[in-house]
Amino acid sequence: MAGQSDPHPSHFSAQEVEFMAEDEIIEIVPNMKMEPLNLICGDYGPFFPQMVTQVPIWLAIALKKRGKCAIRPPSWMSIESLTRILESERESQEAFQVLPFHYVEISRLLFDHARDDISDIYMVRSLIEDIRDVRFHKVETSLESFEDARSSAVRINNLSAMEVNIVRPFVGRALQAFYKHGSPDLIPNPERVSNSISNRWQQAPDQGQRVC
Amino acid sequence: MKVRSVKLREAHKAAAAASGDGRPSFSSVVWDQLAHHIVTASASDPIISIHDPLLPSAPPKLLHHHLDGVTALALSPNSTCLASGSVDHSVKLYKFPGGEFETNITRFTLPIRVLAFNKSGTMLAAAGDDEGIKLINTVDGSIARVLKGHKGPITGLGFDPNGEYLASIDSTGTLIYWELTSGSTLHTLKGVAPDLGLDPSVMNVLSWSPDGETLAVPGLRNDVVMYDRDTAEKLFSLRGDHTQPICFLSWSPNGKYMATAGLDKQVLIWDVDKKQDIDRQQFDERICCLAWKPVGNALAVIDVTGKYGIWDSVVPSSMKSPTEDIPNLNSKNGLLFFEEEDLQEPSFFGSLSDLGEDSLGESEPPCRKRLRKQSAFENDLDEDVGDELSLPPKVESRKKPYHTHRASKEDGNEGQRGRVTSMRLKMQEAFQPGATPMQPGKRRFLCYNMLGSITTMEHDGYSHIEIDFHDTSRHPRFPSMNDHFGFTMASLNEKGSVFANSCKGEKNMSTLMYRPFSSWANNSEWSMRFEGEEVKVVALGTSWVAAITSLNFLRIFSEGGLQKHVLSLDGPVVTASGFKDELVVVTHATDCLPSNDQMLEFRVFNISNRTQPLRGRLPLTPSSHLTWFGFSEEGQLSSYDSKGVLRVFMSQFGGIWLPLFSASKENKSENYWVVGLNASKLLCVLCKNSDLFPQVMPKPVLTLLNLSFPLASSDLGAEALENEFMLNSMHLSQIQKQIDDFSGAGLNTASLDDEAFNVEAAQDKCILRLIASCCNGDKLERATELVKLLSLEKSVRGAIKLVTVLKHPNLAERFSSILEERLLAESKETSRTLLPSSNRNVSVKDDIAVTRTPFSTEKSSTLGTDNVLSSSRLSAPLFTKKAKSQGAKVEMEKNKLSQTTTDDTGKAKKVEQVTNPAKVAELHQEQPSRPLNLFAKSLTNQEKKAGDADQVQSSRPSNPFLKSSVK
Repeated sequence: MAGQSDPHPSHFSAQEVEFMAEDEIIEIVPNMKMEPLNLICGDYGPFFPQMVTQVPIWLAIALKKRGKCAIRPPSWMSIESLTRILESERESQEAFQVLPFHYVEISRLLFDHARDDISDIYMVRSLIEDIRDVRFHKVETSLESFEDARSSAVRINNLSAMEVNIVRPFVGRALQAFYKHGSPDLIPNPERVSNSISNRWQQAPDQGQRVC
Repeated sequence: MKVRSVKLREAHKAAAAASGDGRPSFSSVVWDQLAHHIVTASASDPIISIHDPLLPSAPPKLLHHHLDGVTALALSPNSTCLASGSVDHSVKLYKFPGGEFETNITRFTLPIRVLAFNKSGTMLAAAGDDEGIKLINTVDGSIARVLKGHKGPITGLGFDPNGEYLASIDSTGTLIYWELTSGSTLHTLKGVAPDLGLDPSVMNVLSWSPDGETLAVPGLRNDVVMYDRDTAEKLFSLRGDHTQPICFLSWSPNGKYMATAGLDKQVLIWDVDKKQDIDRQQFDERICCLAWKPVGNALAVIDVTGKYGIWDSVVPSSMKSPTEDIPNLNSKNGLLFFEEEDLQEPSFFGSLSDLGEDSLGESEPPCRKRLRKQSAFENDLDEDVGDELSLPPKVESRKKPYHTHRASKEDGNEGQRGRVTSMRLKMQEAFQPGATPMQPGKRRFLCYNMLGSITTMEHDGYSHIEIDFHDTSRHPRFPSMNDHFGFTMASLNEKGSVFANSCKGEKNMSTLMYRPFSSWANNSEWSMRFEGEEVKVVALGTSWVAAITSLNFLRIFSEGGLQKHVLSLDGPVVTASGFKDELVVVTHATDCLPSNDQMLEFRVFNISNRTQPLRGRLPLTPSSHLTWFGFSEEGQLSSYDSKGVLRVFMSQFGGIWLPLFSASKENKSENYWVVGLNASKLLCVLCKNSDLFPQVMPKPVLTLLNLSFPLASSDLGAEALENEFMLNSMHLSQIQKQIDDFSGAGLNTASLDDEAFNVEAAQDKCILRLIASCCNGDKLERATELVKLLSLEKSVRGAIKLVTVLKHPNLAERFSSILEERLLAESKETSRTLLPSSNRNVSVKDDIAVTRTPFSTEKSSTLGTDNVLSSSRLSAPLFTKKAKSQGAKVEMEKNKLSQTTTDDTGKAKKVEQVTNPAKVAELHQEQPSRPLNLFAKSLTNQEKKAGDADQVQSSRPSNPFLKSSVK
């Protein structure tokens, strides 16, 4: 599935990441009575009016579109919790705060389909955008410095799906390159190596920009 | 004379405007205890302003409670309570510094001129153009005394700082000393102060020196005259530069200085000891009120145009500060106003109590009194006019009609003091289940049930009612409606909604209205009006509407509006609820008990059959009240009280209420607002932050809570399992009862049988887990008891395996002997049931054959042989129960059994069965004497029995075991 829309391997489009995020579970408040749904991915329901139940986001959105339920925004999507996260994101330049793996996609989906269920939607939206910007910036700056690390792996905790997706092609290749150039037995010909280094360095920022 | 000017700020525009018209108005100014606030008011402005002296430009806090100009202000000595008197004849109390309105503590028939708190803040004196001075107990608002003696409007009041006397002065210049303990006049000095006539802007005032030794009163010769505390003799006078009579005076906090304001628009500062003026200031307008800053050297002044200012450094720095050496009379100074006044009762209070004024010194929790005060006072007024001192018995009786929910909470404190007598929990008012109280400006629920909600919001003059169904797919949207009646109660079911209002005043009659949601005829809504009667509670059911009125009538109407029944109930109604044909009404049986417990009674009416299937006492948690009452989804009567206990009516034990949920065992920070319940869950709205009820917006979300018995904590530590066990057995007994009912009515019980089987299986699972925890806890006796309760044979085998694994071999042996007994008893029962049925007709055998095949549907078999089937089905579960205790009887039945061997079902096996039971029965009887041998033999028997078990099952058509083997 990976890379169907993109010639590069191991790279998902934003739509594909969003599609995967639709399997996350979310709470809804149905306004109708319905028998349980027995689906391949699991059993959901039964649905009773005004009683909270948990369904995947894709189902929640489908019901919402038919006016059959209200979606309850997850607890992290409150102004208080987002403000707190944004503050701590800004405070530390290294660590990333704990957010759901698909927070960008979930918030995007809810903003698109369940505007009326989110209180203070403008505030929430701007907070999430701020958080995303701060984190993306952090990811970029931390990648700038990773050539000093002289390691063949990058370790960043609490990175979300969208963030990983953006840096994955670049980081993967860059690490490969480091590995290649770092191991002494792979340097038979200094000229060729210098050539390839320059090539790599030309390529890498290219990709980074395009992806972002 | 120094030239200094005090800058005045406008505080009361209305006063300025009035003075512009040539009507100067008396204005008042007060500091609070710590000098953090200044309160000002003007006689031509209904607004009281609370200013911050540090931020003079900041807008003041305004209190808009009076309807007319405020003539008097008084702050309690610890500054927690502000009192204001007004031209609108009312005296109001506010919290200070917040300014929240507390109560109208009293009313007069004429404008109020002056207010004064006593030193401890427990007593407020109020007076004005009325002839009497009212002494009001600030704690509960009762009037301690009315002092009469003045001939003119009273303009000055002062409590002696030592708490013995009250001095008062009127506009004709008469000064009276009152003794507080007796209420009698000690001294009457006529014409000591100028006669001011009827100009309300000029008032004679008086002021006690802070040490209480002297009383200062404006004199006739533009001076201040000092009178002795006890003898009322003239001591000395302060005469100086005032060219016109003095209209206000104020002692400095330490009593060394005095500030006086005269009609000549001057303010003079005096050194009292030297009897000399030390400073003065000329103002543009007459200053009508002065107040020394309690801390620091400053004086607040306000003039007749409502402009106030602060005169800083009043006393020259070379002299002693006005707040130095404040006389400390007693320790009552800083006590908290709203708490425990009685502990520091000043002496005169005690003696008042001796007179029988028990309301005065009574130690009741203050907040309750506040709630009660307002109306208690309206009664007071009438009574006080005639006889001032005959209050006590009436005070007592007035207290009863008021009750608050808080009352019950505070009982604990009260009981300790042993003065509960006058504070009873009142019988609770009628309420509608699922309604929330009225909140100004907010939408509220008239009715919220499992189906939907009815909400209302009052606009000016009419209300706006909306009906919403939770399940929008099944019910149509119902258009919102404008309600000109002001409905205060409503009920909702699938077919329609009923509304009713209580009568407000004479014109507005109580009305009942029914709106069906769909009807083939147009204009099918109807309404009823009640003259001299008020609807208290409404309820709805299948094609009937019930209304219970203030005359204790239960009125039942048909869906179309026909008045079908009018019944008399035997007590004031609390609430009512309808479900299908059944109406339940809760009434008060008697007045509350002395222990604050209410006596409630419930009755169930079957409307269509005109019967009353149930009636009885409704249990409540001690000192709680009913908050919800209704039916579960299955039609089970349920109640929920303010202590958070849910009770459900069950038929076991001849009809009993079982406590099935207790909020105290759950999360304490939340309140549960019950909406309904079903067989296993309680449906409620969680209210956070100590709210007792939900708001309409955002839409409340129902939460499911598990029902649970309030079990004691057992040494087993498996309360969850024990709870499940009890719930399951409760469900089983319910289902059993239903099966009985159904089969009695000749209905098909197949689905119920299935349900019973499922519950039994779940119960066995639960029991097995309990057995495991018993084994772990080494409670072997309990484990044996549990095994006997297992209903499926498979589970007993499971139990044996379980205990073997858990290394309790003796328990395993005991279990297997139990199993044998049971199998034995069952085989006997089987043959007994087969015997009569085989004799009856052939179809039974067919029937048995059909049920034995896995693809048989029970319905098909019941077509022809309904009676036989249902009877055998019915008997089966009963027999299994009996079988548990019938090991010993087996021998007696042996003869019968041998007859059944001729039966065509499983002849050969039967022979074995008959012989086996005989052996086991013998063993069983020998058990007590030879236990060791028994185990040896029973083990060998067990193996044989294993083979027989299936046969036993298959020969019993409706035994639950059959299903297990079929499956």
